[in-house]
Amino acid sequence: MEKVGIVGYFYVKMKPELDYGRYDLVFETVRGALDSAGLKKKDLTTVISCTNDYYDGRTISNAFCVEPGGAYLVDESKVEMDGPHAVLYALMRILSGNHKLALVWAGSTPSCFPYDSTQLYATDPTWERPTELLNQMVSGGLQMKAYMNKYGIKVEDIAKVAVKNHKNAAKNELANPEAQLPNISINDVLKSDIMSDPVTELMYAQPCDGMAALLLAPEKQALKITENPVWIKGVGWNQETYYLGDRNLHESKAMELASKMAFKSAGITAKDVDVAELFEHFAHEELIFSEAIGFAEKGKGSKLNSEINGDLPINPSGGAIGGNAPCATGLIRMIEAVKQLQGKAQGYQVKDAKIAVASGQVGFCAQNSILYVLEKGGN
Amino acid sequence: MGRQTCVISAGFSEHASKRSDVSMPEMVSEAIEDCLKKVPGLELKDIDAFVNGNMPAFEGANIPELWMTDWLGARNKPLLRVTTGGTTGGSVAIAGYYTVAAGLPGVDTVLAVAFEQQSQGDTSVGLASVALGEMTAISSLGLPIEKLRRLVSAGAAIGIASYQATNYMRKSKITEEDLARVVVQNRRNAAKNWYTHLKMPNLTIQDVLDTPYISFPLRYGMVCPASDGACAMLFTTEEKAKEWADIPVYVNGVASVANQTAIVGYNAAGAGQLDPSEQLGSQLSADLAFKQAGISFPRKEIDYAEVYAPFPNQELMWVEKLGLFEMNTATAMYKAGVTAVNGELPINSSGGVNSTNAIGASAMERPAEAALQIMGKAGNQVKKAVHTSLGHGWGGIINLITMMVMADEPQRKFR
Repeated sequence: MEKVGIVGYFYVKMKPELDYGRYDLVFETVRGALDSAGLKKKDLTTVISCTNDYYDGRTISNAFCVEPGGAYLVDESKVEMDGPHAVLYALMRILSGNHKLALVWAGSTPSCFPYDSTQLYATDPTWERPTELLNQMVSGGLQMKAYMNKYGIKVEDIAKVAVKNHKNAAKNELANPEAQLPNISINDVLKSDIMSDPVTELMYAQPCDGMAALLLAPEKQALKITENPVWIKGVGWNQETYYLGDRNLHESKAMELASKMAFKSAGITAKDVDVAELFEHFAHEELIFSEAIGFAEKGKGSKLNSEINGDLPINPSGGAIGGNAPCATGLIRMIEAVKQLQGKAQGYQVKDAKIAVASGQVGFCAQNSILYVLEKGGN
Repeated sequence: MGRQTCVISAGFSEHASKRSDVSMPEMVSEAIEDCLKKVPGLELKDIDAFVNGNMPAFEGANIPELWMTDWLGARNKPLLRVTTGGTTGGSVAIAGYYTVAAGLPGVDTVLAVAFEQQSQGDTSVGLASVALGEMTAISSLGLPIEKLRRLVSAGAAIGIASYQATNYMRKSKITEEDLARVVVQNRRNAAKNWYTHLKMPNLTIQDVLDTPYISFPLRYGMVCPASDGACAMLFTTEEKAKEWADIPVYVNGVASVANQTAIVGYNAAGAGQLDPSEQLGSQLSADLAFKQAGISFPRKEIDYAEVYAPFPNQELMWVEKLGLFEMNTATAMYKAGVTAVNGELPINSSGGVNSTNAIGASAMERPAEAALQIMGKAGNQVKKAVHTSLGHGWGGIINLITMMVMADEPQRKFR
């Protein structure tokens, strides 16, 4: 794969309820990303947005974000998945040679829409929707139970992940304030309200408002724009089957295949990774993903020291538990990985990070997963 | 950077106002089957990645490709979802092109699928939210809620189209009869194409003009139907295309340049009262796609065009804006039979969106038909040999455009 550089990024501070409108939010984010690279709107050759019509409460929601999103008279399109999928499309557009500077923006404002109702509309309309039994939360509960039963994992081991991410989030000033809990203990996590047994409130990545943007450029342009770009070395994405009964919920087939594809195109293995930013909808998903990617053996994810100064730091920014703005969450993981590689993660910087991975996901129990391999460029 | 992308096949499901005989995934797999059976030797396992899209609000199903995974044949395969309103199909096709053109390792053959089963939901409700969001902007003008509701019902596709139609009619000095002529050509063409919705082999201009108005100047007999249907296109590399297809179709130019939202006039994003028949975005899209394809004189070099025209005035407008005819001459061309199946530059020989409109699929059916015309496999094949063709789409609030230019020769830089 030819080198494509990440040359700019921006994301707004996540909040349970941002007090300004969506168009303002889009404009601020896009403007922030352009400013971070010292570029102007006229430099953009393509814009890919990432929202969901159901989350926005508006059909063809991208049609209304043309001006604030920097897409006026620009080759534009929209991906209705997670932010990193939109980055994938932008990456393809750059690799094709048709475009020289791509902007990706993603995000939503769950304070304005009932997040769980939109999940209902994503279920199979014949067999599942009429019963209203299945949603993100319920599937997460089943996934956690399957994982614990399969490998004999204790609930404390999973709570530990939530504690780590909440504590990390406290160091990240852009994280959701409600998730910034510097003094949280395993007991606090276990004693919080049960959302879907055995998932408790503090193990769940609560939806919050947020928006993020990223700029991509091919190698030559990237080096003109910035001295320390971060290169996209590899990408893999994959979708497994939908029905939970057809899947082994204790593992992530989609992430396994996606990471295999990403590592193959990057020419590295999981051992070469210095830091990981994974989109975990629930604390246990971080463990399942780290096993699927190959950071740990199956069932041994909880044995891995993934603290900021650990063997392999995972989610030093606090992860999705530190702030989950639907559509933007995966893109924020990418941005945080970029920050780690550029040494700009103040307060939660991992030492000597050269190679990072960042992931995104869509669907129940992460049915569709995407993984990026990012490499430090410049000095 | 990049590599040549080819189309090797395109397929359709049967279209009708209610495909209640099949579920949404079954309808989609009809299109996939039709697409794959045209390429002997190619099986589902040869497909490396999938791109898909539909308009979720129109059938009340959000991200349906998740539960449709197995019917698409996408289990344990990379899949990307692209949705952009009316242009969804075109955007999916363009994403299919880019997935191959990017040259990602292990991704050579891509199946692009677009679909819509409007009978499952309520498209008008879905479209109302396009206009309803402007409620605050409209009420700030002092309009009472009753009037607002009336505005909303006219504010969906046909509301915009009738403004566009009257603007275009004033500028090009055409009559309602000229609009009806376009409809007659489309529906008669549709009668010869197997999958279309409105097949009317004996329709006359008078029949169209005898139907009542929906919104002046558009009559009931002039507007597109609401269809259920799906479309699939198969993209691959030049090497594999030569192996699999007798006549590989080279995708040489793609563009989707967005115009401003304020085009409708009252949008919160701007106060500009623009002429909705101006369509700067489509002109720039055409320029970009033609430039990539190395086409300097579209009027001379394009042999066949599929333009996205649910309403007849749009067909006349688009063929001019895309550079296929001089401004304000389209009507004369339709009169002279230039755009007929046996004409010099046939337009919408498939019957077009005017005869069949499964919204999410429609903008993909345009490049799909344009590709099949080059292969010589179209349902209503034109008489002349087609070397270069284009497929176009519009959507959003008439501010989004998709363009795909294809030929039987590769792009110059890859020759």
